[in-house]
Amino acid sequence: MTQQFAGFRQDEVNGVPLLWRQDRRFKTFRLTLHASRPLDSRAASRSLLPGLLLLGTEKDPDRPALSRRMESLYGAAVYPSAVKLGETHSFRLGLDAVSGRFLPGRPDQLGEGLSFLTDYLSRPSLEGGGFPEDRFERERSQAANAVRALEDDKTAWARQRALTLACEGEPMAIPEHGGLEAIEALRRQDPEEARKDFLERGEMWAVAMGAIDGNELIDRAAQMLQELPERRPEPIPDPVAVEKRERRSLVERRELQQCKQVLIMRQPRCESVETWVGRRLFFSMLGGGPHSRLFREVRENQSLAYYVSANADRNKGIAVVQLGLDEEAAEKAEAEILAQIADLQAGNFEEQELETAKAGILSGLKAVDDSIGQRCAFTSEQWLQEADRSPAQQAELYAKADKAQVLSGAQDLWLDYSYLLAGEQKGAAS
Amino acid sequence: MSDFEVITDPVLGEEIWLTRTSKGLPLRVLPSQRFAEIAAVVSIGYGSTDLGFDLNGEKRRSPEGVAHYLEHKLFEDEDLHVFERFGQRGADVNAMTGFTRTTYYFTATSMLEENLDDLLTLVSKLHITDENVDKERGIIEQEIRMYEDSPEYRGFFDLLRCFYGEHPVRNPVGGTVESIQGIDVEELTACHRAFYRTGNAALAVAGPVDPKIVLELAEAWELPEGAAPASKFPEDLAAVRSASGHSKMTVARPRLLLGFKDRDLLTDPLERRDRQLHSQIILDRILGGSSEIREDLHQRGLLDDSLSASYMGERSFGFTVLACETEEPEKLAGVLKEVLMQPMQIDEEHLERARRRALGQYVRSFDSLSSLAFGQGEEALEGIKPFALIERLEKLSCAELVERHREMFREDSYAMVVVGG
Repeated sequence: MTQQFAGFRQDEVNGVPLLWRQDRRFKTFRLTLHASRPLDSRAASRSLLPGLLLLGTEKDPDRPALSRRMESLYGAAVYPSAVKLGETHSFRLGLDAVSGRFLPGRPDQLGEGLSFLTDYLSRPSLEGGGFPEDRFERERSQAANAVRALEDDKTAWARQRALTLACEGEPMAIPEHGGLEAIEALRRQDPEEARKDFLERGEMWAVAMGAIDGNELIDRAAQMLQELPERRPEPIPDPVAVEKRERRSLVERRELQQCKQVLIMRQPRCESVETWVGRRLFFSMLGGGPHSRLFREVRENQSLAYYVSANADRNKGIAVVQLGLDEEAAEKAEAEILAQIADLQAGNFEEQELETAKAGILSGLKAVDDSIGQRCAFTSEQWLQEADRSPAQQAELYAKADKAQVLSGAQDLWLDYSYLLAGEQKGAAS
Repeated sequence: MSDFEVITDPVLGEEIWLTRTSKGLPLRVLPSQRFAEIAAVVSIGYGSTDLGFDLNGEKRRSPEGVAHYLEHKLFEDEDLHVFERFGQRGADVNAMTGFTRTTYYFTATSMLEENLDDLLTLVSKLHITDENVDKERGIIEQEIRMYEDSPEYRGFFDLLRCFYGEHPVRNPVGGTVESIQGIDVEELTACHRAFYRTGNAALAVAGPVDPKIVLELAEAWELPEGAAPASKFPEDLAAVRSASGHSKMTVARPRLLLGFKDRDLLTDPLERRDRQLHSQIILDRILGGSSEIREDLHQRGLLDDSLSASYMGERSFGFTVLACETEEPEKLAGVLKEVLMQPMQIDEEHLERARRRALGQYVRSFDSLSSLAFGQGEEALEGIKPFALIERLEKLSCAELVERHREMFREDSYAMVVVGG
């Protein structure tokens, strides 16, 4: 029976909730299947899986064959991924294609596309219960090399390093790729076991939107999902909470031109949507863009950093402040950030600051419906939060938020870890 | 006030309104009610390569990085900070500088008139003082340093320096820490006066807007009328300056960048668009996902998924660049050069798939308001008619791709750079 969820229709298809919306404003459509598992020691095998799925299916035995099929579907894109969301590892398999309505001969893009997706999901090219040895070895070696190369992206690497150090002993410390050692220790069977585990035990849902016909979508999705193994979904545990402790810090040195500073801050995880609305407004005012306190004070007025931003992770109760600066400015920048946080927490902000933060978020929510990708992501987030609000309903919460709500969202925020990636010798990076 | 010409694509169900203001500014509006958001783009035909020009009979030579510096300074005015003003209206505003263009844009869900008027004003009015120009230098230095930490960025410009001995495309877009020391109020003012003119700009607006209101605002824009001076580019079409280079940098994995420089140039924008399309199809044919050659290189362990391949062609330069991570850069460079230079196998089946892929990509672009506004801003500046791609795809032939392939990859236009210790 069809229900409504977050402005989408909701159907149960072969035991999997399918959230969908036919929207003829668009010329394309998208369907994404999600399956969530706890972030744990299997992260490496889960992260290797998407790359292996792209190397062949029973029907299209190698990558060129798969790519030819995608090209024939007018450049349809199939994108498997394994994404870290707080302490959850989420497998996604999506199809993005142009509707046949806008193409010569009106081809059946939805039917062909979902049949293609089914091949990826349920009929990968396997040998003896695992991915073929040569493909596994190649993909593993490539994944290990990609992890090594991450160190060359100093901004991303500093962020990952800071999270690993700050969250030692918590699942949050595990990087999305699982880590070099874990990748090197993988066995050929592990990625296929990860695939089965996602499909059997994962909390699963699917989201679809765009130029699609609802009945046809449900029929086609049913054909795809009937090939799933028997399902025994397991709930995702709550993320680990940490007691307040003394600030820790580390300076590491590399050859670089611009230092990267990362502050890992903690806050209790938001249980209510009202607290989250207040918290998001607080972080927007603090470091959510050129209108924010940190941009104005740390970059523009005091010229302490080239870039500075702050954002909160709802899935964990953690916030990250990131800066690109000279090493000499790091201490002063950290002090200024803490001072600005304290100032906002004390309620020392103008109504205009709050209104500007609201205007940005409200405008973003109004535009969510303009993009299939953003609207599907919004609906998925609502599903994960069990929130059931449309963008317009969500906007109402932000529109009526007041100073007290922002102050409530800003409470109990403390600095856990200060990490600085600096030049090889002190001062060398300036 | 000017009248609009409305061009419609019946299959896509899209219409684009075209006109020129009384001061000669090309304007395109896509009045689509499909979207809640509005995107507006101002394109200026002035980028990092426009360093040499004549102004009022005087030959000028700008320091490297001046177009980017100017873009930064236009975001400063007498009142409240520009970002805050747009932010209060829930709008995002930004800009970017490339080799031949500077683009200013905003997206918003309300207050079109206030936002567009504000964007147009910030582009046309320069508020600078010695003090604020000096202050900006520190911020731009930090930006330059941030880019210099990127192996791909370093390797890319070292490869361009192998291709070109004289042409300013060899310089980083933002200049260098040294070159920007020579940028001052006089330089920025002169460049703004010279290049920020209606004959060297275009405006495109997409979303739920009334074209007549957009035209009224464009008519009222105080951008000086007339053409910009023609930039002078050194003749730099000879063989590459150096066939190999080395970007010394400590990296976790070495990077290989290699490419081929175009030895002839096209002045007609439509012909350049065709060359862009042909070059991309050729790169996809040889090294795209469906290529047997690429699969073979993967299986032999020579190549991984870090490979990217692209072509860029402008009025005064053009080049193909491949980039990837590898432990054996010299060996891989040799293999890639060989596969690119060998005769290309392409038949009607390949061509049909390439057509389908390009058509799908084109239709897809109409689902993104920002891509529409950016694409139309670019095409308006170049004077290219809307919806031209479909016709070009129909005309595509194997023979012209084979011909382009032959001229694209030549021994004396090849260079490679290794980024590593």
